[in-house]
Amino acid sequence: MRIACLALALIATLPASAQEPTVRVHSARPFGYFVGDLIHARIDVSAPENAALSRASLPKPGALTGSLDLRDVKFREVSENGARIWRLALTYQNFYVALDAREIEIPGFDLAISTAEGTETVKVPAWRVGVSPLREVAPQKQDDPVDYMRPDGSTPFVDEATPRHLAVAAGVAALLAFALVARDRAWPPFQRRKPRVFSALANEFSTRGAGSDGSELDAAIQSVHRALDTANGATLLSADLSGFLHRRPEFQPLRMDFERFFSASKRCFFGDERLSDDFRAEQLAQFVNALARRERSG
Amino acid sequence: MNATLHVVEKLADWRERALEFEREIQKAVLGQARVIRLVTICIFARGHVLIEGDVGVGKTTLLRSASRALGGDFARVEGTVDMMPSDILYHTYLGEDGRPRVEPSELLRLAETLPVFFFNEINRARPQVHSLLLRLMAERSVSAFNRVYHFPYLNVFADRNMVEREETFELPAAARDRFFMEIPMAAPDDTESRRRLVFDPAFHDTETLLERVSPGSFDYRKIPEVSRAIQTEVKSSEALERYVLNLWQALVKPSSAGVSLPDVDVSSLIKGGASPRALAALARAARVRAWLEGRNYLIPEDVRDVFVEVMAHRIFVDPIHALRGDDIVKRLCRAAFDATPVP
Repeated sequence: MRIACLALALIATLPASAQEPTVRVHSARPFGYFVGDLIHARIDVSAPENAALSRASLPKPGALTGSLDLRDVKFREVSENGARIWRLALTYQNFYVALDAREIEIPGFDLAISTAEGTETVKVPAWRVGVSPLREVAPQKQDDPVDYMRPDGSTPFVDEATPRHLAVAAGVAALLAFALVARDRAWPPFQRRKPRVFSALANEFSTRGAGSDGSELDAAIQSVHRALDTANGATLLSADLSGFLHRRPEFQPLRMDFERFFSASKRCFFGDERLSDDFRAEQLAQFVNALARRERSG
Repeated sequence: MNATLHVVEKLADWRERALEFEREIQKAVLGQARVIRLVTICIFARGHVLIEGDVGVGKTTLLRSASRALGGDFARVEGTVDMMPSDILYHTYLGEDGRPRVEPSELLRLAETLPVFFFNEINRARPQVHSLLLRLMAERSVSAFNRVYHFPYLNVFADRNMVEREETFELPAAARDRFFMEIPMAAPDDTESRRRLVFDPAFHDTETLLERVSPGSFDYRKIPEVSRAIQTEVKSSEALERYVLNLWQALVKPSSAGVSLPDVDVSSLIKGGASPRALAALARAARVRAWLEGRNYLIPEDVRDVFVEVMAHRIFVDPIHALRGDDIVKRLCRAAFDATPVP
């Protein structure tokens, strides 16, 4: 640390005693300041353990004299060897334009301390630093005027590997994010294959049969209707058949079977008749198998 | 048993004549097969009709043709803002002796022989007139000259002026619910029909045009009996009835039936309507349609074919959607059909 704990002054406000407050002013150097320089100082105030410093009595940043500003005040409190020490880090700025080397005074200030005995005032004394004038520099005579200029700075070495790795990582992350969006939106290749409703129904019929007569066959016909509704995206009536076959041309060869199915279903559910002999469980199962085959080819 | 067989045979015969009735009207009214079919359904279901159509599309010609093909009379009233119920019932004039006379109006004079009564621009008339008309529609009778006049064969056809808003009295929801169907009528789409309507002089003179229609291809005095027979003989299966009830549920509570429309909150869309009377009308119309198609049982296509015309004007949506016309109701009906499984 540049502050070499150069004690400019050791001033005891009262005769030395472990119980009496003492003030030490440390400065980096007491000389060599030019106009505009910052002057850093540290002031240690030690006091008995039970003492308290009134923060309101700390100096406030601002102009102190016509040519000296207090720029910054930092305050820290520590306990050391049974004593309380307050450390003030003060930053002054010198605006005195010196024409010769001389000393200027940094003004002192008072701190208020309260102890068990009462309130005391501790004086931080004024101290002095040396300021110097700015003088022109007389350079060595050069033949070429360009030589008076400082040489160009050397080109810094840039490591290209790190940005390349970062770019690759960002690219991979972007692709991953795009893949997640595509999956979420079912964009290719994440679109789901159309569910094969007729294949599922054909499998169901092959395992448990399309049902014998009566209500089982009715239920089987209804399940074919539901599969047709699913394939159509809405309830499919026989009047909608042409539109459906136009939208799903893979079923076009089965038009006759569709018509037979709808006609049988109509008579069974809405007419006052049972299924005729030309449309029974076997025909229904064949129709569903044919639908399943056409569905796979579509 | 024999009686039932007899009715079935008579229904088949009546059906042929009903189709003949449609063909006769088509001679005078071009490119309106769908409208003519709906009017036929209303006549045989004995339901009153609200016709919605632009001016000059042939509404009067259609109704006069229907009246002629039924062999009955035709009466027409123009709704005006200062019309009072007495203007419809009474004909007032000055007699040769200079004294005022009050006679029955044309409507009362034709009461027994009137199958088609056309009320043009019904929303121009005041609510008092609507009130009289609603009684005429509901009871097929009016009181005048201290007695009751009955109209045993009457079908009311009313037209709404949808162009102007000034000096009109919009039909309240309850009045619209009394109409069996609202039939939209637009100019025909196909170019050939349009060309003939514009350039064929036969379509410029309504009187000569009407002469093409053979009078009395279906006797209007038979209609009440035919209507009763249709409603009795055309059966609805349990599956079909369940389907219609599911459709009703999908209309009244669309969200509970899984019906959804893009950009519309269906849970708050419907404010009223779709009454039991509406559903009964739907069943009646669907039965007549099944009969005209040559069946003695109802299928879902019968219901769907007449659904929008029977139901749309009886479904009342949130006012914020009502401003956008009846398109939203039609979309809702379509969505309800798409979401309701059958059988």
